[in-house]
Amino acid sequence: MSAVDDTHAARSAPAIRHPAPFRAQIGGLSRIAILLLLVLTAQLVTPSFLAPANLQVILMAVAAIGVMAIGMTLVVIAGEIDLSIAGVAILACVLGGILIPTGSPVLVIGVTLLTGLVLGLINGILVAGLRIPSLIATLGMLGIARALANIASGGQALYPESIGPYVWLGRGTLLGLPVPVLILLVLTVLAIALTRFSIFGQALYATGGNVKAARLSGINVAAVRIAVFMLCGFCAALAGMLDSARLSYINPSGFEGIELSVLAVTVLGGAALSGGKGTITGTLVAALIIGVVNNLLNQLGVSIYLQQVAIAAVILAVVLPDALKRGTGK
Amino acid sequence: MPAVSRRQLLKSAAGLACAAALPGLASTPASAAPVHDLLNALIKKYSDAAKAAMANADIKALFEKDGFRDYLDVYPVGDLAGGFVWKPGMGASFTGPYSKLQIKAPFTDYLPMNEGPVLDKAKTYRIGFVFHGFNHPWLISLADTAAWEAARHPNVQLEVIDAEFDDNKMGQVIDTWIAKKFDGIVLWPSREAPMGPPVDRAIAAGIPVVSLDRRTSSEVISSEVLGNFYANGLQQGLYLQHAAAGAGAMICNRKDLGSTADSIRTGSYLEVIGNSPDYKVLANYHTNSQRTLAFKATADALQAFKDIAIIFNTGGEEAMGALDAVREAGRLNSAPGGKKIIILANDDAREVLKEIRAGNMDMVAPYTPLIGDIGIRAVIAHIGHKAGLLPEAPPKLILTPNLPMITREKMTIEGIETLTPDEWPYAYGPEVAS
Repeated sequence: MSAVDDTHAARSAPAIRHPAPFRAQIGGLSRIAILLLLVLTAQLVTPSFLAPANLQVILMAVAAIGVMAIGMTLVVIAGEIDLSIAGVAILACVLGGILIPTGSPVLVIGVTLLTGLVLGLINGILVAGLRIPSLIATLGMLGIARALANIASGGQALYPESIGPYVWLGRGTLLGLPVPVLILLVLTVLAIALTRFSIFGQALYATGGNVKAARLSGINVAAVRIAVFMLCGFCAALAGMLDSARLSYINPSGFEGIELSVLAVTVLGGAALSGGKGTITGTLVAALIIGVVNNLLNQLGVSIYLQQVAIAAVILAVVLPDALKRGTGK
Repeated sequence: MPAVSRRQLLKSAAGLACAAALPGLASTPASAAPVHDLLNALIKKYSDAAKAAMANADIKALFEKDGFRDYLDVYPVGDLAGGFVWKPGMGASFTGPYSKLQIKAPFTDYLPMNEGPVLDKAKTYRIGFVFHGFNHPWLISLADTAAWEAARHPNVQLEVIDAEFDDNKMGQVIDTWIAKKFDGIVLWPSREAPMGPPVDRAIAAGIPVVSLDRRTSSEVISSEVLGNFYANGLQQGLYLQHAAAGAGAMICNRKDLGSTADSIRTGSYLEVIGNSPDYKVLANYHTNSQRTLAFKATADALQAFKDIAIIFNTGGEEAMGALDAVREAGRLNSAPGGKKIIILANDDAREVLKEIRAGNMDMVAPYTPLIGDIGIRAVIAHIGHKAGLLPEAPPKLILTPNLPMITREKMTIEGIETLTPDEWPYAYGPEVAS
């Protein structure tokens, strides 16, 4: 039984169900196979592709978008969408960045992450409490957060270079691994545990799969939705911080259009926008696929415009079989 | 007015430039000619040479593929309005009304206008200033200078609107000002074609219009204040010739394909280096003014190519992204022979100057946003001429002075005396801690 079949089962089954089997959790073997094929091709084309330094470059490149995609995956599994992540990331970083002159890493990092959580909470309340469709609510939040970031920063970039621990988050290493990569891995493990082995995970899939059944089963659907938006906001702020720390540069007009890239990674990872389906490992594999393709094309000197075409083609190639299966009812 | 004509000055500058360009000269004496004219002469020299031949097949292929000649041949290069001669140190200092940053604007003496009421002192003149991007360090500085100039004249009322990179919105704003019978309009158009019709409508309604930095498709616009893209790319090429002695493998981080900034800067850079057969273009990225993209492209390129000796960047954002990637990879001194990778930049943001000062970037060709004041003065002069209060209108083409490149150490390259970061008070953007 494929991951798609599992989802159909989830939709028609009672709201609370057992966690998805391992094969579904890894986001489908086809994605893994495509990733391996890409890596193999890349190694043949550019012999230094599998060099540790290059692998590190790829992992660093996907770390921030991977963190954002984990948050987005939770939201999408719940049957919602969060288009505000770029705005949340940048407003969180700017509000934290304004505190750079205090010299306090706790304040700068704390306010950044707290802002992400609070903006996520507001998104959650708008969607779950006020019943505003998440597409509209988060689109509104995107505009508001971006504008507030500009107002708060006066349109000027902020430089966190003087906050050592902040910069360490983007440039440091721990246990031989770059910190952003380590954070992505830790977050992945935590998110897998949350979705696979917790009651919250069951409630999450149930809410996204069949909200009425979930309610009848006694699940506090509103609480689930608010929680996923908060987690997504937190992930957006964290990812924003990782990127800003890496460049030592908080750009109030940054992350332009990243919500669509993150959404693409999430869908590529097997999550269904209709909700109830998706895995964290699938999302991670999808982020790696995008990272490998980007790295390979950059190494080949392919223009950014052709890269966009190539990445869109890869997404279609990965998603198409699932779509065809659904179309034929298999 | 200077004692000699502009044409004579240009001729003498060309002679100096040619003498200074003798092969094998590592450093040449500085020219006494104004830097604007000297750079124009060098532009002509290298453009003519590139038209005659381009010995480097790699560069020639790129030059032809991206059609640089079409762009370069129509970009205006010429004299400054009113015989103005710009010298380093000129200009007024003030706090930016929007950015709240300390600004020294280089061209406040260009088309000068005394502080106080303008034209008919009994009348209030309403001028509209529409641009895109209060959230952009370069553009907010542009608005700062426009607002500063307007504030010097108590009978000038300036309305500033951010069209947020929406051409339709900019058109609607202009139409609103036409309906409200504004006295003059100054705009920073993002793209050329869409702003032509609104500008034409304003002109037809008798409202003078001045565009800043970029052009519109209007043929009847009152004046265009244009920057010095050509001198930017030229100086990147000159510096490279000086520092790399005609050889090296490079990657290019460029702005959007077809944008004026990319076409003219990259094109003129290639004109300068195109006759040196030992340069090699390893990869050519359009990172579209996005630091993150430039970072990623450079990080990947550093993995693919072990012999990168030069990184050409069309803008400051690209240069900062490239430098961060080089630093992260620990490759600053990884050019062949253990030499430092030469990083060439444009745009004189304070953060870029900091990297020049630290020796991480090698040169930057300034491209100042501090030109909004010229636009306001030009439009006031047009209003005055239209009302019969001034005998002459400003020229249609108001070229901004070519600015000399900034390098860590003072040097003279082909007669151009470079300035050090400490000699450049015109940088824009927030201060960066050292």
